[in-house]
Amino acid sequence: MNRVGKFLKENWLYLTVLVLLILLPHLIGWATDSSPLGVQRGDRFIMRGQSTYWQSVFIELFALAILVMSYNLMFGFTGVISFGHALFFGGGAYITGMTLEFMGLEPTLGLLVGVLLTLGICGLLGLTIGLATLRLRGVYFAIFTLAIAEMVWVFFGRFPATNGEDGLTLKSLPTFIDPTQNRIFLYYIALAAFAFTFFFIRRLVSSPTGRVFQAIRENEERAKAIGYHTLRFKLFAITVASTMAGGAGILHGILNKSARPEYLSVTHTVDALLMTIIGGVGTFVGPVLGAAGLELADVLLRDAKLTLGTTVINVGESWNFLLGLVFIVVVLVFPYGIVGTWHRWRAQRRKPK
Amino acid sequence: MTDYILQTEALRKAFGGLVAVDNVSVNITRGAMHSIIGPNGAGKTTFFNLLNGTFKPTSGRVIYKGEDITEQPMHRRIHLGIGRSFQITNIFPNLTVLENVRLAAQAISDVNFHWFRPASRYTQFERRAFEVLELVGLRDEAFYPANVLPHGGKRKLELAILLAPDPEVMLLDEPTAGMASEQVPQLMETIATIKAQGNKTIVMVEHNMNVVMGVSDRITVMNLGRVLAEGAPAEIAKNETVQRVYLGELYGDLSEAGGAHG
Ligand SMILES: Nc1ncnc2c1ncn2[C@@H]1O[C@H](COP(=O)(O)OP(=O)(O)O)[C@@H](O)[C@H]1O
Ligand SMILES: [Mg+2]
Repeated sequence: MNRVGKFLKENWLYLTVLVLLILLPHLIGWATDSSPLGVQRGDRFIMRGQSTYWQSVFIELFALAILVMSYNLMFGFTGVISFGHALFFGGGAYITGMTLEFMGLEPTLGLLVGVLLTLGICGLLGLTIGLATLRLRGVYFAIFTLAIAEMVWVFFGRFPATNGEDGLTLKSLPTFIDPTQNRIFLYYIALAAFAFTFFFIRRLVSSPTGRVFQAIRENEERAKAIGYHTLRFKLFAITVASTMAGGAGILHGILNKSARPEYLSVTHTVDALLMTIIGGVGTFVGPVLGAAGLELADVLLRDAKLTLGTTVINVGESWNFLLGLVFIVVVLVFPYGIVGTWHRWRAQRRKPK
Repeated sequence: MTDYILQTEALRKAFGGLVAVDNVSVNITRGAMHSIIGPNGAGKTTFFNLLNGTFKPTSGRVIYKGEDITEQPMHRRIHLGIGRSFQITNIFPNLTVLENVRLAAQAISDVNFHWFRPASRYTQFERRAFEVLELVGLRDEAFYPANVLPHGGKRKLELAILLAPDPEVMLLDEPTAGMASEQVPQLMETIATIKAQGNKTIVMVEHNMNVVMGVSDRITVMNLGRVLAEGAPAEIAKNETVQRVYLGELYGDLSEAGGAHG
C-alpha cells in the first residue's frame, strides 16, 4: 500500500499524461465530431477525419520519441556520440518489411517474426559495431558509425529486391494493425511501446548500472580508475539503444507501410541529436519534450504563413531554416537544453550562497 | 624476511625519447607509510600511473602480494586492493559529492550490472559513502554538485573517493596539491588517522618536506626518472647527494626541518 502510494506520488504527472494519451483519439473525436475509427464504408473503415489524422501524427511522434530516448540513453546518459543511429531506425523498417514481404508467412505470424528478428538483429548489430569500434576514441567512433550507416543507406538505395530508391511497400501487413484500415489499434500499440520504453529507460538510468553510465559520461578515465570496466557498460547502453531504435523503425515503417532508404539517412540521427540537445542532454524528460515539440510544431506550422511587412514567409518551405534558427536560439538561451537549464536553475536556488 | 606488499622490478617508462621512469625498483612494506619525493618532472606521477595500471611500462614488472600484475588493466587493480588518488583533481563534476563517493563504493561490489532496481535501494553504498565523507569532513556538502566545491573540498573528495572501497594499498599523489596552507594540517590529520588504524599501506607523493619527514616510515627520492636515494626520514635528511641535488637547491638546508623529527 505504502509502495503504491509512493509510486503514485513520484509518477503522478507521467501517469496523468499516459491517461490523456489513452483518451486522446476519443477526446479529439469528441471535440471535432469525428469517429476515432474513421468513416465506415460497408464493412470497412476509411481513415478520414480529425481523430484518425491526429492518431497518425501521434504514432509518428511516439516512434520519434522512442528513437530520441534511445539516443539519449547512449549520448545523454553514457556520453557515447554516434552519428549512425539511423541505421537501426531504417534497419528496423527494412528487416520487418522484408520478413513480411519475402518470407511468405501468414501476416500475423510474419509480423511477429519480423518484430523479433528486428529487435534481435538490431541489438546484435549494435553490440558488434560497439565491440569493433568502441575502443576508438570519441570522434572516431562517431565517424565510424556514420560510415556504416551511410554504406547501408547506399546499399538499400540500389538493392533491386527492395526496389532501390522507391523502397519496399508493405502489402502483407495484418489487417488488425494496418494504419489504412485500423489505425486506432496501431495507435495503442505505438503508445504501449512508447510508455514501455519510457519506464524501462527510467528504471535503467536510476539503477546501479545507470549510475555507472553517468559516471562514464562525466569522466570515463576516472570511472576506470575506481574500478569500472567501462567498455562493458558502453556496450550495454549501445545494445539497448540499438534495439529500441529498431523498435522505433518498426513503428515508423508500419505507419508509412513502407521501408525506404531515407529512413536510413543521417537526418534521423541528426534529428535525434538535436532533440536531445534542445530538450536537455542527460535529463530524462527533456528529449521526449524536444521530440514532441518539434514534431507537433512541424505538423501545426507546415502550412502557416508568416507576414513580415510585405514579405510572406511560407513556414513549411523554410522549415529546415527555421529549425536551425530555433536550435541556435535554444543553445544560446538554454546552454544545457530546456529541461537541463531548468534543473540547474532550481539547483542554483537551493545551493547556499 | 620483510613482508612486501607492492614491489617494482626495474620499472621503465619512455614517452618517445623521454624516459620518465628509469629502472625503478622499489619495495613497499605492508602497513608502512612510504613517501616518494623529488622535484617536478622527476617521474613520480608516472610511477603511480604504472602502479595503478594507467600505463603499461615499457619494461619491468609490478608485483603485488608476490604476483605479477604488470598486465592487469587499471579497472582490475582496485578490485585487487590498490587504490589511487590524483594530483590533478579528477572527479565526476556534475554528480553530487555523495554520488562521487557512492560510485566508488559500488564499483567493487557485484551489483554493477543490476539494471532494473533503483540504485537507492542498495543502501550499503550510501552508508559507506557517508562514513567516508564524515571522515574527511565533507558530510555537510554531500548533496552539492562536486564542481561547486572549493579547491580544498575537491582535494578532500579526491581522498574520499579513494577511501570508499577500503583499499589495502593507497597511492596518494600530492594529496594537498594546491591547498591553502592552513587547510593542509586537517587533511594530513585525516591521513594520519587512517594510518593509525594500521591496516593500510600508504604510498604518498608529497612536496611538503616537513609533512613527509614527520609522517613517513620510509622515503624514496626520485630525480630525472631514477631513484636517487632511499631510507628512513633521518637518513634522507642527512644524505649528501639528496641535499645537493634536490633538497639543498629547492628547499634550502633541510637538516634542521628533518632533524626536528628525526
Ligand atoms: N602522458 C605523457 N606523455 C608524455 N610525457 C609525459 C607524460 N606524462 C608525463 N610525461 C613527462 O614525464 C616526465 C615526468 O612527469 P611526472 O611523472 O608527471 O613527474 P612528477 O609527478 O614527478 O612531477 C615529465 O617530463 C613529463 O613531461
Ligand atoms: Mg606529479
